[in-house]
Parts: sequence; C-alpha cells; structure tokens
Amino acid sequence: AMAALGLCRAFGALLLSAGPRRARPPALPPSPQHWLPGPVSAPAACRGLGGSAPRCTTDPLWKCRTKYTVRPVGMKKTGGRDHTGRLRVRGIGGGHKRRYRMIDFQRLRYEEGAPPEPFTEKVISVRYDPCRSADIALVAGGNRKRWIIATENMQPGNSITNSPHISRMAVSASEGDAYPLGALPVGTLICNLESHPGKGAQYIRAAGTCGMLLRKVNGTAIVQLPSKRHMQVLETCVATVGRVSNVDHNKRVIGKAGRNRWLGKRPHTGLWHRKGGWAGRKIKPLPPMKSYVNLPRVKAVE
Amino acid sequence: VFPGVRQAQWLTKTKLVEGLPPAVQGIMDNPALELQELEERAKHMVSHARLWDTAEAAPRRERYCPVLFENLIHICRLMSGKYPSLSKRMLARNCRVAAMWERESILLQVRGLSGILMNSMSPIPPVSSKEEILATKEHVLETFYPIAPTIDLQEVNVYKELNDTGFRDGYPYSYPHTLFFLESANVRTDRFRPEQLRAKMLMFAFGNALAKAKALHGNDPKVLEQPVVVQSIGTDGQLFQFMVFQLNTTDLVSNDGVKNLVWVDSDQNLYERAQCVPEVKKGVVTKPAGISGFQPDTFKKFLALYLHGTV
Repeated sequence: AMAALGLCRAFGALLLSAGPRRARPPALPPSPQHWLPGPVSAPAACRGLGGSAPRCTTDPLWKCRTKYTVRPVGMKKTGGRDHTGRLRVRGIGGGHKRRYRMIDFQRLRYEEGAPPEPFTEKVISVRYDPCRSADIALVAGGNRKRWIIATENMQPGNSITNSPHISRMAVSASEGDAYPLGALPVGTLICNLESHPGKGAQYIRAAGTCGMLLRKVNGTAIVQLPSKRHMQVLETCVATVGRVSNVDHNKRVIGKAGRNRWLGKRPHTGLWHRKGGWAGRKIKPLPPMKSYVNLPRVKAVE
Repeated sequence: VFPGVRQAQWLTKTKLVEGLPPAVQGIMDNPALELQELEERAKHMVSHARLWDTAEAAPRRERYCPVLFENLIHICRLMSGKYPSLSKRMLARNCRVAAMWERESILLQVRGLSGILMNSMSPIPPVSSKEEILATKEHVLETFYPIAPTIDLQEVNVYKELNDTGFRDGYPYSYPHTLFFLESANVRTDRFRPEQLRAKMLMFAFGNALAKAKALHGNDPKVLEQPVVVQSIGTDGQLFQFMVFQLNTTDLVSNDGVKNLVWVDSDQNLYERAQCVPEVKKGVVTKPAGISGFQPDTFKKFLALYLHGTV
C-alpha cells in the first residue's frame, strides 16, 4: 500500500497520460456523453462512431505497475492530452521515446522485515534519466536496489546513510545522506525535501537546485526554496544533503529547433501579441512563508 | 551489480585461484598426446561449425554453438583409442539438478536444468593437496557491506528440501565429471556476460558437487575426507571459460573453517574472427575469408579438462 502510494505520488510529477485506444476490454464504465456548446473540435479519441463529443478514454494505461522494479518501464506519451482525450497543455508532443525508471523519492523506505534504524547504501552507478533534468543513481543496500535522484558529487562506490533519528547535536552530514531536518545543522544545502513526514520528496528535485535550512523553531524547520520562498515543515521531514546533480543543466545551449523537438516540445504559436501586464520584470515582495505545519491555534478565549 | 563470481564465492564459501590447477597443466604439457595434429582437426571443426554448416551466408549462433561443441567432443572422444578408460563416460542433456544448503541462517538452493553434463564411472581425484585445503582456513571471505550477499536472488517458497543429483542410485556413471554451458541465444541481451556465465558455472558446479557429496556421505555438514571435484566449461561459441571446482566441506553455515576451492581460467578465445565473406574495402581485401587467430592453447585446455581423471 505504501509502495503504491509512493508510486502514485511519483507519477503525479508526470503528466496524466491518456491512450486514445479503445482496444482495452470494456471493464471501465463509459462516461456520460458531454454535449459541448460552441464549435465542436474533433478530439483525438473520435473514431467515427457518430456524435462528436469525446467519450471517456481509458485511464493512464501505462501507469498500472504497483510493484517496484529497477528495470526501465515502457511509457506512453500523452501529447498534452488528459484523461478525456482533449488537449490540456499546449506545446507537448513528439520527441524521442523514453522509458521510465521508477525513482524512489522516499529515502527512508525500509525493506520488508527491516527495523526502522539508520542504514547505509552503496552507490552502484550514476546515469542520465530521460524523464527529468537531474541524473539518477542506482543504489543498493541489504537485499534491494533502487533508483534515487543523484546529488552533485555522487560517484559509483560511495556510501550514503539514511537515518530517522534526531539528536540534540547536529549531525555533520556528508553529501548524499538523508537525515531529518531537525538533525541537520542550520545553513546546510539540501534537496529532495518532503512537505509532510513520510510523503516522499516533492520539492527541490530539478538539476542543480538546492534549498537552504534557515532556522529551526520549536519542532519545525524553515527552509528556503530555490524560488526564494520560505517553507515551514516539521523537523521530522527527511531531506538529502547537497545540490542535485547535473549542475550545468541551465548553461546548456539548445542550438537548434530540432533539439527542442527531440525533447518533446512543440513550437510556440507565431501570432504576434501586444505585451500586456504579464510581460517584463517584476519586483515584488516575497510571498508569505508557506507553512505545512498544523500548529494548534492558541486562542485566549475566556 | 558487481561481478557475479564474487557473490557466488560468498554463497558457496569458495576461494578463487587464478589459472588452472597444476594437474591439468601437467596433462597439457604432456608431449605424449600429440596435440599438433589435433590442432589441424580443431581448426577444421571450427571452420565447419562457423562457416560451412549452413545454406545461408553465415550460421547463427544458435546453430554454430552446439555444432562446435559437438565437434570438439568428437575430437576428444577420438582419444579413447589410447586411453580406454575414456569410454566410461556418458553425456546427459537437460538433466535436472537440485541442491540445498544453508549459509549463515539463510537457506539457499540451486535448482534447474544444468546444461549438458558429462558423467563418469570413477570420480576425479582431488586436485589440491591437503596442505592447500587446510590453508584455506585462513582465507577470509569478502563481505559486501552494505549490500547483502543474497541480493538479486529470487525468493521462493520451498516445500521440500531437495538434494538430487538427477540420477537414481545404482546408475553406473554416477560421478559428475564436467558441465558444459552453451550460451547460444542469438540476441546479445539474452546471453550471459562472461562474468555472469562464470558465476552460473560456479553455482551449478557447486550444486552438482554438493548433491553428489550429500548422496555419498549423508546430509550432515562436515569436512569431506575425499573432496569432490567437478569441472565446468562455458562458452558462447568463441570465448571459453574453464573452471575446476573442488568441494572440500559441506559445512557452509559458518564463515570460518575449511573453504572450497575453485580454479578459474577465464576469457580464452578459441579464434579471433571467422569471416564467411571476405571484407573488401575500396577494392582491397582487408579481412580474408576463413578462421583467423586460432589459439591452440584453448583447445588444449579443453582436451586436458576432458582427459583429467583418466590420464
């Protein structure tokens, strides 16, 4: 159950896919037909069955794997379409075929039958991942192997530790280790941050990014995200130490339109728009700190 | 993950020795064997398997690998004119072997079709001396912390702990002599890599040896007085891996004590390349058709392993 939950959250980072095939056995009930007002577009799922509204195409077909595996899984491209089959996000389509490697974002995932104690793992290889900008590392510990997001100076043969304990003294963490925020010294660069303990890393995962631990207050910690926004989380949330790998990712030069097409990005519209209020540099105060901690509201109500 | 042979060594409590044992080397260097003319035959056989065997341009690996193996065995069998005890051997294909042992409170087992097995009526004498066997006591098996040595092994529910050589009692050819593994899948990803092949050879040789030892001496773990020796040869048609495994002890629960021994000679090329059609670049023949780079040593080792135990 935990594994499936973790996997679903991992998939949340990817787009919802929709295969416009109806060869699947009709186990899913068809959705009620929508008669849309206005010009009816020919949806991708239309098969000339009469009626011009999209039927509910089947759910993400390729995301049905519950068991974790290290082997790359074949994935289907969506082209920006959602589960109804209509275009939801523009500019996506084509590109080189990719296979998805299941990344484990929850660093403190214990094996079955293993006690919840600090454990070490060894990095076996670091490789390019076609599905994200960061590199991924294959680590092995105990009886299992898994993929994790690699940090900046990770080399094959390193050892990384994962520990859930928070002690009074801050741990001098080396790069790649995963500790709860309460155990790290203030001012460390971290990545792969969780908002709630046990949820799995959802923040600071892109290439070269890092957040900084600003201060620790009561049982919470305040982290500065790469967008300079402040985030308050419980100190038991686990993060890895260091910057994410592939640091020069933003310095690369695409070079030609074809390379963008290989990455799966379709061209922008060529229509000239007059610049409205959206364009140009903005100087704004920082948005307020985002808190993921439900503090008990102390109200002095007599 | 890491070379499979190291993991197989830990699982079978084995010490690795590079190169073939001196007994086999002695057979190879024995001048009475007239290996020169056999070289001619061996070249002929390689050409037959790789070049001439088919109506299409070039035979595929599924075809030439077993054909080459058959031809090499044929040459070896021709020697039985000189050594009559060679005729007391038989080949078995697709025989099922099962061995089960405990390793530091983890139950392990080897089961499955073990390729091609050659049995003989008399066992191979122990290859190493008593001193070497006792010297293995000091050898420390390497650990793979933090990786558990049982990584990448399939977890299976076993309902019967089975130790089976694959043959019933009373069979005249009862001692496993040599195992042959042919990697003959056409696609490279289906074949085992050399180190994976060596690990597979080690595990199956160990399985056969253990099953035989348990059949001879009973199921109790102990140090064997008469070590059981099993050889194995693995190939993918061009690269040969030779291995001599000696089972010294069935006491595999603890990490100390006498260890088993294995002599490995790896990555022996029988020939460099076999061109069916001469490669011509710009009107000049760069690679002529035929077998080039034939290594007689590899064939000598093959023959030596075959003759081991009778010479």
